Amino acid sequence: MATIAYEPKRPNIASANVQLPAVRDYEQVDNEITATLRPTKAWFASLLLAMAFLAFGIASWVYQIHQGLGVAGYNPPVMWGVYIITFVFWVGIGHAGTLISAILYLFRAGFRTTIYRAAEAMTVFAVMTAGLFPIIHIGRPWKAFWLVPYPNWRLLWPQFKSPLVWDVFAISTYLTISTTFLFVGLIPDIAILRDRETNPTRKRILSILSFGWRNTEREWRHFARAYLFLAAVSTPLVLSVHSVVSFDFAMALTPGWHTTIFPPYFVAGAIFSGIGMVFTIIIPIRSWFNLKHYVTLNHLDAAAKLALFTSMVVGCAYIVEFFIAWYGGVAAEQDYFWNRVFGQWWWAAWIMLTCNMILPLSLFSQKLRRNPAWLWILSIFINIGMWFERFVIVVPSLSHEFEPWQWTTYAPTWVDYGILLGSFGWFFMWFLLFIRQLPVIALAEVKEIVPPRLKHAHAHTPANADDFEPETPGAHN
Amino acid sequence: MRGVLGHFKELDSAVEAITELRTARLGDVTVFTPTPRHELEHAVEPPRSPVRMYLLFGGLAGCMFGYWIAIWASNYWPLVVGGKAIGSWIPYTIFGFEVFVLVGALSTVFGMFIHARIPRLTMLVGYDPRFSHGDYGIWVECAPEKAGSAEALLRKHGAVEVRGER
Repeated sequence: MATIAYEPKRPNIASANVQLPAVRDYEQVDNEITATLRPTKAWFASLLLAMAFLAFGIASWVYQIHQGLGVAGYNPPVMWGVYIITFVFWVGIGHAGTLISAILYLFRAGFRTTIYRAAEAMTVFAVMTAGLFPIIHIGRPWKAFWLVPYPNWRLLWPQFKSPLVWDVFAISTYLTISTTFLFVGLIPDIAILRDRETNPTRKRILSILSFGWRNTEREWRHFARAYLFLAAVSTPLVLSVHSVVSFDFAMALTPGWHTTIFPPYFVAGAIFSGIGMVFTIIIPIRSWFNLKHYVTLNHLDAAAKLALFTSMVVGCAYIVEFFIAWYGGVAAEQDYFWNRVFGQWWWAAWIMLTCNMILPLSLFSQKLRRNPAWLWILSIFINIGMWFERFVIVVPSLSHEFEPWQWTTYAPTWVDYGILLGSFGWFFMWFLLFIRQLPVIALAEVKEIVPPRLKHAHAHTPANADDFEPETPGAHN
Repeated sequence: MRGVLGHFKELDSAVEAITELRTARLGDVTVFTPTPRHELEHAVEPPRSPVRMYLLFGGLAGCMFGYWIAIWASNYWPLVVGGKAIGSWIPYTIFGFEVFVLVGALSTVFGMFIHARIPRLTMLVGYDPRFSHGDYGIWVECAPEKAGSAEALLRKHGAVEVRGER
């Protein structure tokens, strides 16, 4: 009788050495992960808070529309402020999702499996949030269609050499592909929900959304190839989009902006901030829904190493910026960087340096990398630090250009802060609604790393079967 | 369409049944699995997925469109700056690349839909909701005179349930 040589080290997808020892069979996967569709009190409390923030943001925006852009903190020539800062911040957050999903898929990084769905959803909602800010920033949102490069009789002709037009193409492509990538990955999971659903209305909706997926070998084969190629084209897309966003700045002659380091610097910063937001999201979820044996400490540990690495890349970019300013010998550039760190904007620069360079060094400690509470606190600092990074890029440059008579200051108003807060409410509201409707951990992919049921059981045990954290429930049974 | 559906709890039982069904040439075999497994793929020995060609041709078409739209619009509505080319291919590479990814990726999904034969309006015969949960299924589409042999073979390899469907 033939037996299958089951090799847990070579499953179909990226698993590396990150196993799920406390997960025994497919039924357990379905039952435990779909439990996230039943909301907890913490979920309701978070949704309420998010909607309160959103309401405040909407009220602030309505006030701004009624009163005009003067109620925001713009102070010429600082005509890019909190809205552009927050736009770049959310675009950056949106990058880690496709990074975790696509790049880590191609690199066969096993820790991706249980966190990528949350990261992909985060991407879509973050880019949706970012897309609001150019509209808010222009002050008259009913003219927003002017942003689209199409020929017209207002003499606003399409200028394909403008970084702002590149941005429109890059971000709309990114939003479309990220949404497609998320949805394609969801199809098999929606089919699982459809087959478990008892409510006829929901079952019908899920049937439509699953496209009649039947789990045939034929479907899986084409699905796997399509997913692989989507990952392959999404990877350079991730790198290109934030590079294009950085061109919005780097193509200008403004001190602090006109530098070739910006594309890699922005990409690394985007990955870093996205990983931070993944921690902010996934750590409460694993706690609320008792998923600690899916998103294990091994997964968090590996993701924390990625955060540490990108933090060091970002830190290196900060230092190189100073070096280039000194070595370049341009007085305006040198003066600008001095003003940024030791002058007018010292407080913002040091918040950035502390949150993005100094605090993440704690991740050299394995004990802290495996401490979810610390990772969550650190993720908040990373979010703050990365918002301030964009503040430090945008505001000090515009407030301290070449001519001293241009030098000025900038202070956001309550309207700016209200809309900023509202953007967090908008983002988290969509994310919380998402996890209420669809599995936040990919069911089908987790099943790929769970040993299948076999008639002829073999004696093989994964080498790291006991290498998991003590907090895993029932791990040693 | 008529045939026999075998329902398996264990992966290796399903693999053995597929191998023998293919050897016996009792009919077309469709395999249902809750998650993709190399073992099943090796047993079925399917042809390579042609989805990659959709990416290639969709991507190339998108890339050409991205360059074309930027060059055409620049020439049709020229913004003349002294010493600068009206249609400048270096910055237009951004459009070529972005539209390459956009059309290429969407074509890939379209190709997957075509070859995986989805969207499907009905679940057809031979499907059981347990196949998305954790069990394996083998649907043998065969003539009525071969149904008995197929059923016996499925049971021999440990099918927990076998039923004829049409």
